[in-house]
Amino acid sequence: MNEFELSIIGPAFLASLLVLSTHVPLGTEVLRRGIIFIDLAIAQVAGLGVIAADTMGWEAEGWLVQIAAVSAALIAAYILHWTDKRWPEIQEALIGVCFILAAVTAILMLAENPHGGEHMKELLVGQILWVNFDQLLPVAIVSALVLVAWYWMRDHLQGFGFYALFAFAITASVQLVGIYLVFACLIIPAIATRHILRRGIRIVCGYGVGIVGCLAGLMISVRGDFPAGAVIVWSLAVSALMFAWLVWPMIRHKDHSAETNIG
Amino acid sequence: MVGSMLRVLTLIIGLVVTSTASALNVFVCQPEWDSLLQELAGDKVESTVATTAFQDPHRLQARPSLIAAVRQADLIVCTGADMEIGWLPLLLRRAGNAKVQDGNPGNFVAANYVRRVEIPVTIDRAQGDVHPQGNPHIHLNPRNIERVADALAERLINIDPSNSAEYQSRLDDFQRRWSDATEDWEERAIPLEGMRLAAHHRSFSYLAEWLDLDIVATLEPKPGIPASAAQLATILEQLTPNPPAGVIRTPYENEKPSHWLSARIDIAEIVLPFTIGGTPGSVDLFSLYDETIRMLEEHNR
Repeated sequence: MNEFELSIIGPAFLASLLVLSTHVPLGTEVLRRGIIFIDLAIAQVAGLGVIAADTMGWEAEGWLVQIAAVSAALIAAYILHWTDKRWPEIQEALIGVCFILAAVTAILMLAENPHGGEHMKELLVGQILWVNFDQLLPVAIVSALVLVAWYWMRDHLQGFGFYALFAFAITASVQLVGIYLVFACLIIPAIATRHILRRGIRIVCGYGVGIVGCLAGLMISVRGDFPAGAVIVWSLAVSALMFAWLVWPMIRHKDHSAETNIG
Repeated sequence: MVGSMLRVLTLIIGLVVTSTASALNVFVCQPEWDSLLQELAGDKVESTVATTAFQDPHRLQARPSLIAAVRQADLIVCTGADMEIGWLPLLLRRAGNAKVQDGNPGNFVAANYVRRVEIPVTIDRAQGDVHPQGNPHIHLNPRNIERVADALAERLINIDPSNSAEYQSRLDDFQRRWSDATEDWEERAIPLEGMRLAAHHRSFSYLAEWLDLDIVATLEPKPGIPASAAQLATILEQLTPNPPAGVIRTPYENEKPSHWLSARIDIAEIVLPFTIGGTPGSVDLFSLYDETIRMLEEHNR
């Protein structure tokens, strides 16, 4: 690996580590609740917030747009939290409806205001290769806060807390790496580790799957000159398969015996 | 996989070759400027072109080789006027090459040297798609090419003075051939004057202005946003009694709006090459203009 390849992979790899740090634990919860499309819905609504801000003539750059995006995402999170309590049996369907409503609302608003469209596109299709170190600091702070909140009150996160954390994490990560990669980082490690009983081991294994996948994807992207985000989604999937078929069978007895000992 | 290995290999060979030879490394955003660069600099430059005729120059996926190319560039040649606003600033920031940043001699913006059309008088957000800088698709008027050629040659001389004699003589030669060709095209295109056409977007405004074509309707006035039912109804109503000769689009645009219109009022769909490589015959600026005019002639009634 030469200096040039390192300089390309460096910021992109750090960005993927930040995204994985929050998405692996959140992903296990999302999978447990069976609401896997919640990230698409929240990200789409965050995009809607950006268009709304633009329509109101707010400055296109900087933190005002971020506030608009997070506020919209939080409103969506609150509504979804409410529907989760009110109609838990159809929550996933309602999340799907929320997603398409946000998407078509964007089309309707954009008919009047394509500038907002550019901003929304930026928000939804972040490109991991174009990440700079100075973009990573705010995301690192948000990720740290989300993680602290998560470990501090994960056992009490039945209510709005979980959805609110999710809104913050998704709004930050989508702009960095784009919606496909966010979905992959959230769901794929969680699926690969779903049989692991102990929460700590599961999270560690999930991080392993994610880190191997992201690093391999970035290397393949640099060596083969492919768009990085798309390659990483595939390498995450391959990394998950390898873990579930090769690694997990070799270490599973430890997890189970540990569980028996604790029990 | 073999293809990607080959690409890596050519990248490595490219690195070795360019670091030993004294050729200027140039990063070019659109194929039309690469063709102009070949005319003006020949083998004095090694160029990397970011987009092809089949890619929307407004949009680009980040690939490692693009960052590498900008990082090593002595000069970047782009259209400007907000054409690349969605990706070039990010790419420049990511590549961290001071020579080619905004305002430095290594940053050449073609649109700065021509008179742009469709510059809004007042920036009204309700107008939405209006670009404050005007229409950036400047390359389909030969007068613009002429002006950009002068400016680009001057820039090459500025950053690579050791070859200034060659750049100057190539410029003189190009301008002579270009002005002869332009005269021919203008003569050939006299019958095209007033030819009525529908278009997808405002991608051909400069061509229309030069040849006095009459763009009677624009199907998707706001790129990426489907036209409303009312807009389409107005267009149909307006075009049905007196259909235009055809509906023109670029190779990278979606064919659906053209299909829709041609199915309803029975007119030809014309995919103009738009830039180098857009049709097999468009291999340089000269053949690009030849092909464009020939295709319009074919459909002129």
